[in-house]
Amino acid sequence: MKRERPVRDLGRPLSRVVKLFFFTAFLLLFLRDFAWQGLLLAFTVPLMISLTTDWLPRLFPCDKLILSLTNFLCALGVLVLYDTNPSYAYHQAMYYGVGLGAMVICIYLVRLIRKWDGLVWLMIPASLILLALPLRIGQETYGARNWFYIGGLSVQPSEIVKLSLLIIIAHFMSRRQMLPWLGFSVCCLGLLMLQKDLGTALLYYGVTLLNYFASSGNLGMTALGLGGGAGAAVMGYKMFAHVKKRVAIWLNPFADYDNAGYQIVQSLMAIASGGMLGLGLGLGSPRTIPVYHTDFIFAVICEQFGLIFGLCVLLMYVALIWRGATTAMAARSGFHGLLAMGCTAMLGLQTFVIIGGVIKLIPLTGVTMPFVSYGGTSLVSSLCLIGLLQGVESLNEDNLEEDTRLALLGGDEE
Amino acid sequence: MKQQRLRFKLLALFLFGLFALLAVYGGYAITTYGNRWFAYTRNPRIRAQKENVIAGDVLDRSGVVLATTVDGTRIYQADESARRAVVHLLGDDQGQVSNGVETFQSNYLYGFQASLPELINSLFDGQPRRGDNVTLTIDSRLCTAIVKAFGAYSLTAGKNGAAVVMNYRTGETLGMVSLPTFDPMNITESTANDPGQPFWNRATQSVYPPGSSFKIITTDAALTSLPGIQDTEIACTGGLDVAGQAIRDYGNAVHNSLSLKRAFTVSCNNVYALLAIRMKDDALRRAAESFGFNDNFLFKDIVVENSVYPTTNRTSFELATSGFGQSAIVASPMHLCLVAAAIANDGVIMEPQLLRQVTSTSGALRTSFSPRVYRTATTAANAALIQDYMRSVVTSGTGTRAAVSGLTVCGKTGSAESSLNGRAITYGWFVGYIADDDLPFALAVVVEDIPDGEGGGSTAAPIAGDIFQYLKDNQTRVTQ
Repeated sequence: MKRERPVRDLGRPLSRVVKLFFFTAFLLLFLRDFAWQGLLLAFTVPLMISLTTDWLPRLFPCDKLILSLTNFLCALGVLVLYDTNPSYAYHQAMYYGVGLGAMVICIYLVRLIRKWDGLVWLMIPASLILLALPLRIGQETYGARNWFYIGGLSVQPSEIVKLSLLIIIAHFMSRRQMLPWLGFSVCCLGLLMLQKDLGTALLYYGVTLLNYFASSGNLGMTALGLGGGAGAAVMGYKMFAHVKKRVAIWLNPFADYDNAGYQIVQSLMAIASGGMLGLGLGLGSPRTIPVYHTDFIFAVICEQFGLIFGLCVLLMYVALIWRGATTAMAARSGFHGLLAMGCTAMLGLQTFVIIGGVIKLIPLTGVTMPFVSYGGTSLVSSLCLIGLLQGVESLNEDNLEEDTRLALLGGDEE
Repeated sequence: MKQQRLRFKLLALFLFGLFALLAVYGGYAITTYGNRWFAYTRNPRIRAQKENVIAGDVLDRSGVVLATTVDGTRIYQADESARRAVVHLLGDDQGQVSNGVETFQSNYLYGFQASLPELINSLFDGQPRRGDNVTLTIDSRLCTAIVKAFGAYSLTAGKNGAAVVMNYRTGETLGMVSLPTFDPMNITESTANDPGQPFWNRATQSVYPPGSSFKIITTDAALTSLPGIQDTEIACTGGLDVAGQAIRDYGNAVHNSLSLKRAFTVSCNNVYALLAIRMKDDALRRAAESFGFNDNFLFKDIVVENSVYPTTNRTSFELATSGFGQSAIVASPMHLCLVAAAIANDGVIMEPQLLRQVTSTSGALRTSFSPRVYRTATTAANAALIQDYMRSVVTSGTGTRAAVSGLTVCGKTGSAESSLNGRAITYGWFVGYIADDDLPFALAVVVEDIPDGEGGGSTAAPIAGDIFQYLKDNQTRVTQ
């Protein structure tokens, strides 16, 4: 416990720096066109950061480092969106607020619900129905049919089902019941394949496999799962024309840079233009990158703030993974440990898949960059992941306190 | 539980590994390809910067101003033939030429490299900011002379082609010309629609079959993999049948029995086909690759199309014709200049460079020339033998028309065939160098679509001779 102290104390000064950064950044953008929204954001964004990092820990024990980093990334998304397309930023800021609320709810859910048995059996059919909805009433974008409109809001069910997937696999894996989680994941994967949402399918598959390894330690079966996944990838390549095309673009985007390779070439061009230190906030031409607000937002960040800053953003995710894994390791029950690890793996894998695609390390798959990319469902769901993680962390802290109390009592008896 | 904790740790390490991969690849990609991605003709950021920054000047090695900005307009040299001669290496304001200095060095020319104090200063002094001035290793008057040399002979006048001249001891590129040229100050619809594709820089972007000039590499491979071959007599019966297909020598010549040196000097295809078959594909491919074939050229200043030595599904006929640079082997004039330079520089290829120095308007030095080794192509012993062979090509072989009195010119001719739009086309080559430390220059000259019955010796070699003569006459300027 002593060892953890210095790290914990990082949270407060860090959140001050973060608030100052965003205050000045939004103020700078406000000076560009004197739109009142800029001024509003300059105050509300630091306020939201303040509320979550300074006030939330008073309600229950939290990991302040995770909170600071998460808030930084969310606010960075709002900032970059405000610079490129203000109307996206207002939406994003709104969902940022909603997401923070959802995060708190998730923390409470983990703290309060001690018996998930009945709930998971409800979650399974509900999730599958939700995930199947886009197939009937969905819209197609960039070759994938993975979202629909409801009451003027666009909803991406795979982002919501992500949460129930983590809970379901953690629940059954901790009880060594293989069939339910395996059946559920396979159904999810099937539905995602039907929607041609291969990026998300990759995430579901990866997280399930990683969690399976963590819970069972069965190397043989994990290898078998890996082989099956590779086989499915080859099949996907052969079956879907748009997958084939994406791989070809990945191998040589410059071959056809006016058409097929345009996105990735514009992304690489933007990153290269930023150089080490970036062109500066509000400068450059980030809007020439296609889908700069979702898939390629990391390219915008690199263009404006530079490669060094981009690497720092990567480091923030690494820190999140580190804290997440620590939380998982400190968990008292198998379920909570697997839940925390699942959330961590999901965030880590998703970030790797999208940033790897943007810098042309792997073929591009359309998943969002957690916390940063534009998209209400995605932002709320990512914050919920943090909520689940924080819930486990707060239970750990409670348990620690209990231990200390008991140890003290024991000391008295001696 | 303890076991599970350990596995959580493993998973975290795995995820860290993924992120390390991102960071390492990202850093590698930006340092290796950064400028290539940035300096794209259509990068809107460069266009935007043009509104705010006055582009710096481009000068040649002796200070001749090749490009400057006057009242917001880009101005090139006043003399039309002079500005046409350097247009491909320099590029143009519209970005029609890919990777010319005007585009590829945008980083400097448009002040993207300015330091923070300079940026702050420029905010207060009220003057529009100026980009850096770029001085090239190029001798612009040599380029004009090269264009003139193409026009001086009835066989080559009006033909398309390219020539590259470099200092083989340092890697400085002295001349780079592509024909047809165009006038950067008068680009019209007809320039863009010209079937000769004048915007195309043939010196670096076009890859041609090297033909017999590839025998330099076949010789090197033979010297390595067939020990003692230089002392054996090889029979040439005037023809060879490989897997049912006939190989005939140029003009159906029959050379009877001849040494390797003699075969190189008279450019005997039969002997080289035999050599290729005897040493097998692997040895020849390895030699070609050590000269830079199949490499991804990533020279810092110059973008060069990669050369190809085919690696898969080779028939024995293709292997045999590879011995004299046919089948699907292709290389750019720039790369074949490097092949000649490798022999001249005792086996070591220097990286071809274009920047002599870059200075800011206030005189701060951004970068300056320093020689860099590209790769070691062959041993000094092999190079010495081939130097001797290349000398004999010019004194008593196919390349006599490249000779210049008072200079030790060495070289190799080549005539390569390929089909373009269903029509057979012959390319005339001369690659060579001056064996003199006071004039350490290598060159490659290619002439497209030469008449039937002509070869590199009658088309490209005379042009090379003129270029060597020019270098000799202007020794102080081109070597300073």
